[in-house]
Amino acid sequence: MPYNVLIVDDSATMRALIRKVLAISGFKLGQCFEGANGREGLAILEQHWVDVVLSDIHMPEMDGTAFITALKEHPLWQTIPVVVVSTESREEVLAPFRRLGVAGYIRKPFRPETIRRQLSTLLGEAGTPDAGELEGCDF
Amino acid sequence: MLENLKAATFEVFEGMFFLFPEPPLLEQPVFRGMGVRAWVPVSGPRSFCVGLTVPQSLARKMAANFLGLTPSDLTPEQVQDAVQEGANMVAGSFLARERASAAFHLQPPQSRLVDLGSPHFRLSLNHLLLLVEDDGLEVFVEKL
Repeated sequence: MPYNVLIVDDSATMRALIRKVLAISGFKLGQCFEGANGREGLAILEQHWVDVVLSDIHMPEMDGTAFITALKEHPLWQTIPVVVVSTESREEVLAPFRRLGVAGYIRKPFRPETIRRQLSTLLGEAGTPDAGELEGCDF
Repeated sequence: MLENLKAATFEVFEGMFFLFPEPPLLEQPVFRGMGVRAWVPVSGPRSFCVGLTVPQSLARKMAANFLGLTPSDLTPEQVQDAVQEGANMVAGSFLARERASAAFHLQPPQSRLVDLGSPHFRLSLNHLLLLVEDDGLEVFVEKL
């Protein structure tokens, strides 16, 4: 079953990179939606079914904290797995996201296979040959 | 501090841009023509920014390698955005290596085109100068 992914990042270049990684990695990618901040992410969720969200933290207008909080408080969206993809690796900064129920964390810079492994594990495709190791995943 | 800045820079350039900076040279690398300066403001107990200055030729290599495109297919926006994202990743890695508390907040990256040959152009005072292939790379930390 292909999975719909929402990428929320203020960098169009980073969104393009993640989309490319998903497309070529063997991940069963359905539709791939993009938002430049949390507000755009919420607007996409209003319109489309999304299986997993990849979100940056530091974004203008609506940052990752506000976006993920809104998502986790919404009755229909609160079960969607959210993976934070960020330059942040400071525990003090990441702890609040863990409390919000974020499913995983990928630190930039990342290796392409890290994204596929995270998503494969989260979405139950752990049978792939190299899906056992969650390199770069701190949660 | 500069050791952490250097380690952060090497991590980002090697891991995300597939480019290999060389250690600082005794002679200053050549910065000429147009370039991109990108920086990430950091607010908190002290306000400063972490950034990069690169010539256009290096900016284009960064964007091409990052996106897996040939340089001729790149838009100016993609080139500038790739340098911004590079600054963003260097800043994040640098703060973690410095064990900065959560009171320091990374702000969205900013960038502008700069004329590296202009008499008004100045490199930062607190910086690393590196060489990437034939291009200069400045990595800086500046007070705001």
